[in-house]
Amino acid sequence: MADKEHKEQKIGSQISAETIKVIAESVGIGGIPDDAAGVLAEDSSYRLKQIVQEAVKFMHHGKRHRLSTTDIDNALRAQNVEPLYGFQTGDGIPFRFASGGGRELHFVEEKEFDLQEIVNATLPKIPIDISLKAHWLCIDGVQPSIPENPPPASKDQQQKEILDTTVKTTIEKQVKVITPLAEPHKIKHKHKGITDLAKVKDLSNHELSVEQQLYYKEITEACVGPDEARRSEALQSLASDPGLHQMLPRFSTFISEGVKINVVQNNLALLIYLMRMVKSIMDNQTLYLEKYLHEFIPAVCTCIVSKQLCMRPEVDNHWALRDFAARLMGQMCKNFSTSTNNIQARITKTFTHAIQSDKAALATQYGAIAGLGEMGSEVIKSFLLPHVKDIGEKVKTVLEGPILNAADKIAAENIKKSLAKYLSPVLKALRGPGASVDDYTAEFGSLGPMLHTAVGRERKSSGNQGSQLAKTTGLGTPSQDRTRPTVTIPTPRSQFVIQQSSSLGSLPGTPKQTQGAIRTPGTTTLIQGGQPKTPSTPGQQKFIVMTSRPSNNGQSDKPLSMSSGTPTVVKVMSGGSQGQIPSAVPRTPTTPKIVVMSMTQGNSGLPGQGGPGGQDLGMRSVFTDQINNIKKESENS
Amino acid sequence: MAGNEVPFSDSLKTQGNMQQTLPLQNATKADVSDKQTLLAVLQFLKKNNLKGTEELLKREASIKDDDVRPPTSSQSETDVSHALAAYKSADDPSRFADYYTNLKTFIESCLDAHKVELSVILYPVFIHMYLEMVYNEHESYAISFFRRFSKEQEDFYQEDLQRLATVTKKEHMKGNELMESFKASKFVIKMSRDSYNHLKRYLQENKMKPLLTIIQEHLFIDVFDGVPRTKQQIDATSGGLMGESERDANKVKVFYGLLKEPDINMPLEEEDEAPEGDDKPKKKKPKKDPLMMKKSKNDPHAPAFNRIPLPEMKDQDKMEKITAYREALKRVKVNRENLPTICFYTVLNSYQGVTSIDMAEDSSLLSVGFADSTIRVFTTSSQKLRGMKTAGELDSIDRDADDVLERMMDDRTAADSKLLTGHSGPVYAARFSRDRKYLVSCSEDGTVRLWSLLTWTNLVCYKGHNHPVWDVEFSPYGHYFVSVGHDRTARLWATDHHVPIRIFSGHLSDMDCVKFHPNSNYIATGSNDRFIRLWDILNGNCVRIFSGHKGSVQTLCFSPDGRFLASSGVDSIVLLWDISTGGLMAQMKGHTDTVYSLCFSRDGGVLASGGLDNSVKLWDVVKVLQEVDTDADTSIPSSVHVNDSAGLLIGSWATKATPVLCIHFTRKNLMIASGPAALQEDKSPHKT
Repeated sequence: MADKEHKEQKIGSQISAETIKVIAESVGIGGIPDDAAGVLAEDSSYRLKQIVQEAVKFMHHGKRHRLSTTDIDNALRAQNVEPLYGFQTGDGIPFRFASGGGRELHFVEEKEFDLQEIVNATLPKIPIDISLKAHWLCIDGVQPSIPENPPPASKDQQQKEILDTTVKTTIEKQVKVITPLAEPHKIKHKHKGITDLAKVKDLSNHELSVEQQLYYKEITEACVGPDEARRSEALQSLASDPGLHQMLPRFSTFISEGVKINVVQNNLALLIYLMRMVKSIMDNQTLYLEKYLHEFIPAVCTCIVSKQLCMRPEVDNHWALRDFAARLMGQMCKNFSTSTNNIQARITKTFTHAIQSDKAALATQYGAIAGLGEMGSEVIKSFLLPHVKDIGEKVKTVLEGPILNAADKIAAENIKKSLAKYLSPVLKALRGPGASVDDYTAEFGSLGPMLHTAVGRERKSSGNQGSQLAKTTGLGTPSQDRTRPTVTIPTPRSQFVIQQSSSLGSLPGTPKQTQGAIRTPGTTTLIQGGQPKTPSTPGQQKFIVMTSRPSNNGQSDKPLSMSSGTPTVVKVMSGGSQGQIPSAVPRTPTTPKIVVMSMTQGNSGLPGQGGPGGQDLGMRSVFTDQINNIKKESENS
Repeated sequence: MAGNEVPFSDSLKTQGNMQQTLPLQNATKADVSDKQTLLAVLQFLKKNNLKGTEELLKREASIKDDDVRPPTSSQSETDVSHALAAYKSADDPSRFADYYTNLKTFIESCLDAHKVELSVILYPVFIHMYLEMVYNEHESYAISFFRRFSKEQEDFYQEDLQRLATVTKKEHMKGNELMESFKASKFVIKMSRDSYNHLKRYLQENKMKPLLTIIQEHLFIDVFDGVPRTKQQIDATSGGLMGESERDANKVKVFYGLLKEPDINMPLEEEDEAPEGDDKPKKKKPKKDPLMMKKSKNDPHAPAFNRIPLPEMKDQDKMEKITAYREALKRVKVNRENLPTICFYTVLNSYQGVTSIDMAEDSSLLSVGFADSTIRVFTTSSQKLRGMKTAGELDSIDRDADDVLERMMDDRTAADSKLLTGHSGPVYAARFSRDRKYLVSCSEDGTVRLWSLLTWTNLVCYKGHNHPVWDVEFSPYGHYFVSVGHDRTARLWATDHHVPIRIFSGHLSDMDCVKFHPNSNYIATGSNDRFIRLWDILNGNCVRIFSGHKGSVQTLCFSPDGRFLASSGVDSIVLLWDISTGGLMAQMKGHTDTVYSLCFSRDGGVLASGGLDNSVKLWDVVKVLQEVDTDADTSIPSSVHVNDSAGLLIGSWATKATPVLCIHFTRKNLMIASGPAALQEDKSPHKT
C-alpha cells in the first residue's frame, strides 16, 4: 500500500505554478497569468524528468550509484542545451532540510565567502597521485585474510554464531585452510548457505591452524615480552588485523588468566601489558567481543579496584594502571552496555559499593573513583558527588591521622587529585560561578576548598586544564593518552603474504609488489600445482614477521624491582569464583590449582636499548614513560 | 513456418531490416538525395514562375512532370503526424478502462496454460491505450487509467512505465525517444497457436474496435506450433523495450567458428623452446602438432579467411602468437574443483572518478579512463613504459640489428604509468590493440581517439558520433575498431580512414557496449533498449537479436570458441546466449547490482563477472553445456529450457569496498580483477 502511494507520488510530482511565478520574478518577468504558469509548470516538469532520465545513462556509464551534477550537465549538453555552471561538487550537493508549517523543504545553503580569507589561506595539500596497488583477492579460491580483503567473518556473522552454532561451522568452513593433502572435493564452497536440517548443534571445536597457533604464540609473547618495539607491533596487529575471531577465545583466556596470576604476583608491568592487549582487541573493528565480555570485564575490573597491584604501593605508579583500566571500562560500558546485560549498571554498583565501604582500601577507592569518573557526567553526578563528603573525611583522617603510612598517604593525595579531575567539569556545569568556598565546604566537607579552586581553574582555562591536571597529578597526560599510543606509531607493518615465489614477498605499501607475479614462472607453479607441500599454504599464510629477538640479554635491569628472575613461575592459587567481579572475591585458596605461566626475563628497559633488532621506531608509549618515571622515583627515594 | 499464416500480422512484417548500411545502398541513397535536391530546385522555379529555366533543367536532368509534385509540408513533419495519427480515434476515452478490464477478465478466464501467454499482451495494450488517450488529449482519463493499471504490469517494465508516465500531453509525444520507439516499431510477442486462436476468437466475438486496432497496428504476434510456454520461459526472454526478438530475425546463418590459424614457422618455435626447459617440450611436441592440425582443419562454422579483409601478419605478430601459444601451454585448469587465483588491482586516490578500466590481452598493460577526461596506462609487469627516441636519435640506429625494437626505445622516459590527455569529457572506454602499440578511447565529447603507445601521443581523432560515445573496441586482428554511442549507432572504423566504413543502426535507444567476435566478422552491441544485436560486418546486416535483459546492457563477452555470448548489465543478471541458434541458454542470478565486466576463462569453461556490488563471481559454463537439452527443437520456443539453477555459481569473492570494473584472464588462466577504491563519500550509500 505504501509502495503504491509512493509510486503515485512519483508519477504525480510536479513543479507548482507558484514556483514558476517565483522563478519568473527572479529573472525579472512579473505578472505571469495563472494559466500560463500552469502550462509552463507542467512542461518544465516534463522537460526536467526527461533530462534526469537522460542523466541516468551518464551515471551508469560513469560506473556510479549516485547521480551527480556533472551527469545533469552532460545530459543537457547531449540535448544541445547549455549546461549549468557553478554546481561542480565532488561529493553530492549538500542539501539541507527544513520543515515548518507542514511543509518540507530541501535547499542548498549558499554561504558567503570572504575572498580575503580564501586568498590568504594556506594552499591545500597536493592530493596524492593515482597509483595502482595489487593484492590477492583469492588464492586457489580461498580468500587470504589480509587487510585489503574484507574480514572472513563479519561482525554480524560472529554475532549469529552466538545464537546458532551451525553458523559457526559454516564460517569455519569458509575460512578453513585447505591443507595440501585435502582432496579438492572436500571444499564445500557451494554449501555455504545450507544449514543442517536437523539443527543438531555440533560441538564446535576451535581448531587453530598451525599458522594461527604460531601467530598466537608470537603475539602473546610479544605482548608480554621485554621488547617494546615488538610489543607495539603486536598490539598494532591485534588492533587492526581482520580474521582474528577464531583466536579470540584464546586471547581472552590468556588475558583473564594472566590478570589473575599477576595480581597475586603484584606484577604491575605485566598487568599493564595485558590491559594494553585488551585495549587493542577492543580497537579491532572486525571482532565481535560480546561473547567474551565475561572474561574481559573481571580482568579489567581487577586492575581498577584491586587492593594491591604492585610490590611497593608507596613508590610504584599503579595509579596509571588504574586510570587506564578505568578508561577501558568506561569504553566497554559505552560500547557493550545494553538493556539486557546491564553492564554499566552492574559495574557502577560495584564501584559505588567500594566507595561506600569502610573496609575498602584507599587504593581500591581510588580505582572506584576513577572507574565512576570515566562513566560520564551523569554517573559522576548521581553516584560520585553524594559520596564526596565521606571520602573527604576518610582522606582527611588518613592525611592528618596519627598513624603515618606512606602508601595510604599517597593514595589519599591521589584520591584528592582524581576527584578534582573528575568533579571539576561536572561541578562547573552544575554550580554557578557565584558559589563560594563556604558553599563547597558545606556540601563537600573537607574537600570543598580544593574542589572550589579546581573548578575555578577549570573555568579560567578550560583549554589548558588537561595538561595542568596532568602536571598536578604527576601522571602521564591523562587527556592525551586517550589516544592509544599504539595507533600513532607509523611502524610499517611487517606482514608478509608468503608466497612460494620469492619475488612476491615484497612489502605491501610499495605499489608494484605483486605485479611480477603474473609473469614469473614461480607463481605459475603455485597456481598450477594446487598441492604445495609446505604448511604455508595459500589461504592462511599470514605471519607477523617479527624482528628477531635478541637472545636473552640477561640484563637484570629490573625497573619494577621484581625479586625473582626465574623464567617460569609456578603459582598455587584459588580456582574458585574467579569469574565474578574480582574486588569482591575473597582470595582464600580453596581448591588449589596450578597455573604455569612463562615469564619474561626481566625488562630490557628503554625501547631503544632493546637490542639490535628492536629499533626505536619513534615510539614512546605512555607506559614506557611511566616506567621511566617509576624508575626515577625509585632512584630518588 | 508459422506466423506467416496469421492474417493481420502478415503484411506488417516488413520492418526490422531497415538498419542495413551496405555501401551499395549508400550509393543509391546518395542518388536519391541528389534527385531530391533537383526536385526542390524545380519546385522553387515553378513557384516563382521561371518557366524557361524550369523546362531547361527538366530536359537536362530528364525528369518527368509527374515527379514534381508540390509537397504539402516538410518531410519529417508529415512523417511524425502520420505516425502519431495512428492513435487518432473518436472513441470515448472513458470506455478504455472497460476494454482493458474486459480483456483482463477474458485472460483470467482462460486455461492456466494459455493464461500466462495471453497475459503478455496486456502490457502493450495498456501502453497503446494510454498513448491513444494522451494523443487525443484526454489527460485526466489517461492519468487515472495509468494509475489504475500500471502497477499490474511486470516489474521489469516499471522503468519504462515511469518514463511513460512523464508523457501526459500531446506535445510531449513529439521528440520523445520512447514515444518514437513505440510508434515506429511493433511490440513482438511470441505465442503458441492455441493461445493465439483463443485470442482471435475472443476478439471476433467482442467487437471492441480500439482493442482490435491496437493489436493489429502495434503488435506483432509471432505464432509457433507447440505447447504454450510457461511463465518462467516467457519471463526469461521478455523484458526488451519492444517485447521479444522475432524468431525470423535469428534465422540467418552465423559463421561463429574461429578463423583458420595461419601456419606459423615451426622451426622458430623449436629454437625458442629448446633452451628454456629441456624436459617438457619434448613430451609436448608430438602432442602439439596434431592439436594445431585439428584446429586448422576446416571448421564448417568458420567464415572464410578473406571474408573480411584482414591485415597481413607481421613478423612481430607471429612472435607474439608463438609466445601466446607457449604461455597457453602452461595454462591451469579453472573449474569447480580448481578454483582460480585472483589478483586484484586497486586504483588508489582516484578522486576524479574512474569511468573505465581495461587490460591488454597479454595482461601486461592496464588502462584507466577517468571522468576528468584523462587516460592513464599502467604497466603490470616489471617492464617499464617507455617512449620512442626522437627522430634524430632514431636515425642513428642500426636498422639491421636484431634488437632494433629495443634500441628504438628511450630509457630516460621509463615510468610505471603514462598519462594521455586530449579528450574533453569523461573517458568511457580505452582499449588496447592486440599488438599493444595502439590504444583507442572514446569519450563524452563525441570523439574517438587513437593513441600510439610508442610515442604516447594522440595520433587520430575520429569524429562522427556527435553524441557521447559509450564504448569502443579494437578488432582482435587489429586495423578495425568499432564504437557505439548515444546516437544509437555503431560505427566501424579502419584506423587509416577518418570516416566510418560501416554504420550499424537499429537499436531503439543508446548503444551501451560493443564487442568484436573473436573471428572479427561480427560485432555484438548491447543497448539501453535491453536488446543485444549481432551484426555482420561484411554487409551490415543485423543477424541476431537477443531479448531477455530487464535493464540496460552494459557488458558483453564472447566465449573464446566464438559460439557463445555472455551479457549483463543494470539488471545484474548474467545471460548466456547460443549464437548458432539465437537462443538463451542460461540465466545466472546472484549479483545484487549492475554488472560491468564479464570474462570467459581462456578455455571457455568458466565465466567471471564483477560489478558495482563489490564482488567477483564465477559461473560454471561447462555445467550449462552439459545440462543443455540437445534434443529440443530450438525453433519452438516452448521446448527450450533456460538453465537458471543456483548451482551454476562456482564461487564469489567480495572486495572490501571496491567495485569491480574489469575482469580478465591471463593466458595462463590467472584471474585479474580491477576497480577503483571507493572514496569515502561513496561508501555511505552502500551502508544505508
